[in-house]
Amino acid sequence: MDWTVVNALRALAAFWAAGLLGALAVGCDDSARGPRPTASIVPVAEGDFHITAPSSVRAGGYTFRVHNEGPTHHEFIIVGTRTGVLPLRPDGLTVDEESIERLEPGSLVPGAPGAVRNLTVLLKPGRYILFCNMEGHFMAGMHAELVVA
Amino acid sequence: MLGPAKAMKPFAVASSSRAPVIAIFLTFALISATTIALSVSATKASQHRTSVIQVAARQRTLAERYLAEILLVREGKQANPAYTARALTASATSLLEGGTVPGVNGDDDETSLPPADGHVLRAQFAQEQRLVADLTSTGQAVLLHRPTANLPQTAHEHVSQLEPVMRVRVLAALTSSNAFRAAQEIGRVDEANLNNLLKSQVLLGVGGLLVTLLLAAGLLATARRKSAHFRSLALSASDLVIVLGARGCRYVSRSVAAMVGRSDSDLYGEGLARFVHDEDRPVFEAVQATGAPSQFSFRMLSSAGEWRHLDAHATDLRADRNLRGVVLHARDTTDRVQLEQQLTAQLQRDGFASRLGEALEMADEEREVANVVERAAIEISEQTPMELLLSDSSRANLARVASNPGTEAPGCPVKSPFSCVAVRRGTAVVFDSSESLNACPQLRGRTSGSCSAVCVPVSFMGRALGVLHTTGPEGEPLSGKTVSQLTMLAAQAGARIGTVRAFEKTQLQASTDGLTGLGNRRTAEKRLRELIKSGRLFAVVLADLDRFKQLNDTNGHEAGDRALRLFSQTVTQALRDNDLVARWGGEEFVMVLPELDRFQAIEVLDRVRRDLAVAHPGETPRFTASFGVSDSGQAESLEELLHIADGGLYAAKKAGRDRATVGDCESAAQAKKEEAARLMDSAEATPLPESPGDQNGIPTVRHARASMHEAAYEEDPPPSGVQIR
Repeated sequence: MDWTVVNALRALAAFWAAGLLGALAVGCDDSARGPRPTASIVPVAEGDFHITAPSSVRAGGYTFRVHNEGPTHHEFIIVGTRTGVLPLRPDGLTVDEESIERLEPGSLVPGAPGAVRNLTVLLKPGRYILFCNMEGHFMAGMHAELVVA
Repeated sequence: MLGPAKAMKPFAVASSSRAPVIAIFLTFALISATTIALSVSATKASQHRTSVIQVAARQRTLAERYLAEILLVREGKQANPAYTARALTASATSLLEGGTVPGVNGDDDETSLPPADGHVLRAQFAQEQRLVADLTSTGQAVLLHRPTANLPQTAHEHVSQLEPVMRVRVLAALTSSNAFRAAQEIGRVDEANLNNLLKSQVLLGVGGLLVTLLLAAGLLATARRKSAHFRSLALSASDLVIVLGARGCRYVSRSVAAMVGRSDSDLYGEGLARFVHDEDRPVFEAVQATGAPSQFSFRMLSSAGEWRHLDAHATDLRADRNLRGVVLHARDTTDRVQLEQQLTAQLQRDGFASRLGEALEMADEEREVANVVERAAIEISEQTPMELLLSDSSRANLARVASNPGTEAPGCPVKSPFSCVAVRRGTAVVFDSSESLNACPQLRGRTSGSCSAVCVPVSFMGRALGVLHTTGPEGEPLSGKTVSQLTMLAAQAGARIGTVRAFEKTQLQASTDGLTGLGNRRTAEKRLRELIKSGRLFAVVLADLDRFKQLNDTNGHEAGDRALRLFSQTVTQALRDNDLVARWGGEEFVMVLPELDRFQAIEVLDRVRRDLAVAHPGETPRFTASFGVSDSGQAESLEELLHIADGGLYAAKKAGRDRATVGDCESAAQAKKEEAARLMDSAEATPLPESPGDQNGIPTVRHARASMHEAAYEEDPPPSGVQIR
């Protein structure tokens, strides 16, 4: 076969090979990234419709590793409370987050089922409530108490 | 690193240039098909997802509507929560398992959904189904004012503590939120898919473009290289290529211009046809106009004024858009045509030469050779006057022996071979005109007027034999071909004449006595046998020169030879034409006299003796001879006849010599007895006297016997009357 054709086919092969490698490299990217935990890990399991977490920890920096076990989306909000009762919005269905904003060490927006997300917070001693404030979730039982000594 | 040498295959161009083209098309087809397939499948999936999103989003509305309708019914207002509950349930089932979603009053039309794919989505829709079930069962209990605390919580919600309406509100919120999140998630995935699709399509497009560009570049380079190959081939080819369009020549290859020695511009248009031979122009113009005949020959005039012969093959490509003309592939066959003409002439000449050779071989005599020459002359040229002049054996005189029978002989007046310029030069001479300064003088003043001439010497083994002479019209000598045929005729005729003459001479020598020019003993015996066989009367004479030994001894052999020659001449003159005299051996002769008896022979011999006596002997001493005679009446055999004649000779010697005596049986017997006695004595006493042998120097018995007669006579004292000087 003529040299030009051979060269052209060679170039074609190289092109496809480069494309394939590029695609693989892009696929690997996500697993290499992510914040490195700098504090103790607190495993949290969320599900329809419950939150399972340790009931007490010592004060300090913690990384809550939140695993949404599904089957629906869930938020993760941590908020300090003295009374153990969270104020509801006028709808009577959801927690009034705006009024307790300053008591929130941190929160995670709704996550898809199966997702594992980290939330690192510095916890001072006190009473905390962990909850999901998606429509009806709090009312359906998605809240847990955490005492920080 | 050097790879193996790459063969130049200019005619493989079709297959190897097709490959990149095919590769380009394949790449295009592959990329287009992939893009289209991706788009189609993505669009289709996207359409499905849109329906799913619509239905999922509608669940939110339906859940809220259900709650509102329950509250309205509790207030005593008109509403139909059961209808909404059915729609919620059917939609939830279809979202999970696929199928037809019923329309809602004043809302969507009927929609068909595929089954949910992916375990996350399926789990989410299963949860939706459970939430809907819990919602509707709670709703129904509220409407019927039944307790709700113990209703099943299939979705793991913890709502048993809530009062019934609140429980319905929470479940509606859960259903609504779940459906909304699912729709949102589907939309997000869809978006990501669309992004991926876009990316892959862009990649495919760019990749396809690059590949196509590479292949096209390769294709272009290949095509350029091939065309360079062809250009070099076309320019270096020795084949003559001519393209004839409707308005004359459109293209000539460099080789054509080189062959006819003219520039391209001279040949374009009508230029080429001007140099075509007039006789060939009709066929040339036919080819130009119609492309036929496909094979033809024509001649072109080169700048050197030479006609070049061309064999051409015409291909009609007038219908070919790229050419629009008749293409002639021609070959210069001038050399071949010339060679063929030469060979044909050569063949004709060779055929004539071999036939001439055979005819001459069959000619045994000069007369027959001359005859062959005459017939050959007719074949060479019927109309050309021609003659063959040959010298006689003395080589002094030329005489015409053959002439072209169809015309008058040219009549060359040359007398001697050495007066002929062609003979002197030993080569053919051509004269354009008898009147020119350097013409042969023999050509002038002929009765036929002025003429041209060709003279070819005829010779054998370097010895001139004669000349072959032809004449033609003034200023128009014979063609080179005819001259070469005449030369060949002269050479072959000369060889044959020489051979015939040599043969005749040999024949003559074998039967002739060298000294006297008479026949020898063989000649005589042959003649005697013929006569005996015919039964005719004849006489036989044996003659012997008297005292010849003495003459030899006294006067020398030359005198003896002269005596023998004088005797021969005298006898020959005295005899008739049909008589024969031959030398028998030594000084003994034999005569054969037809139609004479022995007595008539005696008379003839008497006359011979008289002639001998008066013959002028010159320096030769006078001498006499003795003769013995017999005739055919005396005996029947040759030996007997000779024996009787020998007896006569013996008697003549004994009677005193210089006489002729008829032999008889008695004298023959006497001679035999004497001879035997002598032979015996002399064998004991002395060797045979020296005597000339026969031609070969070998003494024959007859010779020895004859000499013995003489020896016998020598004993007697010589008669006083015989003078020996």
